[in-house]
Amino acid sequence: MPVSEHPVRLSVSDDLVRERVTVFFRALLAIPHFIWLALWGIVVLLAAIVNWLATLILGRSPQPLHDFLAAYVKYATQFYAYWQLAADPYPRFDGRAGYPVDVTIPPPVRQSRWTVAFRGILLLPALLLATAIVGGPSGISSITRGGNYSGNFGLLHLAALLGWFAILARGAMPRGLRDAAAYALSYGAQFWAYAFLLTERYPNSDPQAALAELPSRSDPIHLEVGGDLRRSRLTVFFRGLLAIPHLVWLQLWGILALLASIVNWFATLFTGRSPAWLHRFLSAYLRYQFHVYAFLYLIGNPFPGFAGRAGSYPIEALIAERERQNRWKTGFRLILVLPALLLAGVYGSLASLVAVLAWFSSLARARMPLGLRNAGALALRYHAQVLGYVLLLTDTYPYSGPVRDAAAAAEQPAIAGAPAPAGEPSGSDAPGADQPAASTLPELGLS
Amino acid sequence: MLGPRRLWEGLRARPLRSAATLLVALGFGLAWALAAHALWHSTVPSGLRLPRVDPRQAFSSSFLERSSDYERFLDIDALLGELTLLLVLVLYARSGHKLMRESAAGRIGTGMMLGMLGFALVWLAEVPFGLAAVWWQRRHHISHKGYVDSVIESFLQLGGRFLFVSLALGVAMAVAGVLRRWWWAVAAPVFVGLALLSAYLSVYLVPNTHALQEPQTVADVRELAKVEHVPGTKAEVQYVERETTAPNAESVGFGSTRRVILWDTLLDGRFSRREVRVVTAHELGHLAHHHTLKRVGWLALFLIPAAAIVALLTRRRGGLARPEAVPVALLAFVALQLLAAPLMSVVSRRDEAEADWSALQATHDPSAAKSLFRKLSTTTLSSPDPPTWSYVLNGDHPTIAQRIAMVEAWQARGSR
Repeated sequence: MPVSEHPVRLSVSDDLVRERVTVFFRALLAIPHFIWLALWGIVVLLAAIVNWLATLILGRSPQPLHDFLAAYVKYATQFYAYWQLAADPYPRFDGRAGYPVDVTIPPPVRQSRWTVAFRGILLLPALLLATAIVGGPSGISSITRGGNYSGNFGLLHLAALLGWFAILARGAMPRGLRDAAAYALSYGAQFWAYAFLLTERYPNSDPQAALAELPSRSDPIHLEVGGDLRRSRLTVFFRGLLAIPHLVWLQLWGILALLASIVNWFATLFTGRSPAWLHRFLSAYLRYQFHVYAFLYLIGNPFPGFAGRAGSYPIEALIAERERQNRWKTGFRLILVLPALLLAGVYGSLASLVAVLAWFSSLARARMPLGLRNAGALALRYHAQVLGYVLLLTDTYPYSGPVRDAAAAAEQPAIAGAPAPAGEPSGSDAPGADQPAASTLPELGLS
Repeated sequence: MLGPRRLWEGLRARPLRSAATLLVALGFGLAWALAAHALWHSTVPSGLRLPRVDPRQAFSSSFLERSSDYERFLDIDALLGELTLLLVLVLYARSGHKLMRESAAGRIGTGMMLGMLGFALVWLAEVPFGLAAVWWQRRHHISHKGYVDSVIESFLQLGGRFLFVSLALGVAMAVAGVLRRWWWAVAAPVFVGLALLSAYLSVYLVPNTHALQEPQTVADVRELAKVEHVPGTKAEVQYVERETTAPNAESVGFGSTRRVILWDTLLDGRFSRREVRVVTAHELGHLAHHHTLKRVGWLALFLIPAAAIVALLTRRRGGLARPEAVPVALLAFVALQLLAAPLMSVVSRRDEAEADWSALQATHDPSAAKSLFRKLSTTTLSSPDPPTWSYVLNGDHPTIAQRIAMVEAWQARGSR
């Protein structure tokens, strides 16, 4: 099942059902694989150096080396999918195709010697992003060193941790957490494929492109992604300072919102639904916060208004009308939200990194990379859902994975389907690389 | 704009209304003049004649040459910086409104954004002049500040300016949305109120301060505060040694927040206890004569007509209620501020002279005062007798020569 136009493609054919016993002992069951991964990793390290020299001289990766390294990336992805609960069956030790979470790596192609020579430097932005999506530096490097997971939590690890509890309780991995993990695995595989010179295409952080089958959900709080990718260099350069009045206003509004949410908690607990005026007030606050962070993190371009008016910003958090809420969920809301808060922290790191990388990229190109924009939008959407859940705007639990976004889906084929010229990392976050279809966005009526 | 011909036609067409307007304008002018007269009052004897002090007698010719060179560079750098500021704002006034496309905010939010972007462009244009000044100060061992630190510091200060501009434009544009062309009549007093609040709270905005510990200086502050009728005034020390070698002090706040702040470079042993007493007495003199409040008063006298002029000049862009008028308003306001700067310097020099006089009256130590002024000149490389244009444009203190002359005048008056 091909899932992305990136040459390194992740395919997922997992039914979410998990065996509780194997999940409970998953880390211990993974020990042989850790050892094997580490041993194989030592050889891979040497092979990667030889491959780098060979590709630099020949202009293309030698087939045997390419196959050896590709097999390792496939194996590591399968093993990580197993260990991080994105898949259930015990994986093979050779990375052979057929695992429920698998990665396809194209045969060797000619590569620009310049990008090969400077691959280590070009890799740095992707490495930063990988720290948030996959895990901290020690987490990433452990793919070659094996084991040693004392590193920072990324989306992959936290999804696995939360999934572990969920599976033990329900016998199935929640779809959102599985998709979040699969997104991280896809990015990880593309990252390592790029690092090992298996492809010249830069890793793509776009969650819309990571998985073919994303659910189209209609959550009470969901996202509408509009606007183009053009960014004004002037407002990008001063973005942090321009946001200061908004951040001050947000703090002041936040004090009132805190008091209002306490009143809302009592009202919802006793009457079963949030009072209309409180729902309106807190919705406006949530929207405003969303607008401000979208602006600050460069997910959106225009300077937002100060009122959180619905429909006033190109990237919008759409909030449903108030509805009846379960009193149990209301009563224990602050406890129930804790796992979501943990995940929101990871998504917050992702949004911050997106902002930093997008700042440089937008200054250089006056354009936001689509992958970064959509990764940031995912992070902000999750944050908005968590805040809406805390503020009792809904009792629907935040959905942790990427969802199919109508506007982004309309953009995606244009981006991913465009034939990429040799050496042009289309549909990716490559620094300095332009996305072929990006210039067509205004014509698509998305501006 | 209202030309003389239209004014005359208006007078002929509606004589009663025109007469009433004229009367209001005259009344306003009279009130302005009375207020200015009251604020102009000083305790420095009106008939005091300052003797001519020849800087060549107090300073070596090499120092005079060096300080003159030093200040000339900084003056020219500052002047070029201000011309650049004006040039950038002129260009921004012409085409800044095009940046409205970068906003999804309403008219007020968009106006705030345009205001901030205007100052952002000014900051970008002024960075080279700031760096040149740092380079020159470092070369003369007046500043230890690094170039990167200097840029980062000014960038962060820009954040504060953004906040201030947003607040000011938020108030002005909100009022303009209701009162249209008369927004200034309400907004200017609001600004003055905010300035008053800011002056009151300014003590909390001074970074790197701590309570004065040195027992001798604490005792001197206490004694001098009593003599100058501002008992209980606290003194603090500000750490600036890592950035500069220049000594300085300031008085901030009023009422319960009034403070004297001495830079640690003043207390590093280069100045005697008697000289520090004169500095302290000078700052207490500012507090004793309510100079902080007087400054706010002068600001009000500037702001009210300035806001009216800005209102007049922004009419062609639909008035300040419209965001596209903001770039013009910025240019108008900054230009008025630059025009008023020499007048504000006159006021500042008068206050400083009064504080000097107050210090002499409190300490009765003219020799320490003279020695202090000489050292202030040598440690900051400030020219004792700068060129007139520099004095008129930038001189917010009397020249060192004038300050020494005042000491001599005080001595002469005492001996009579």
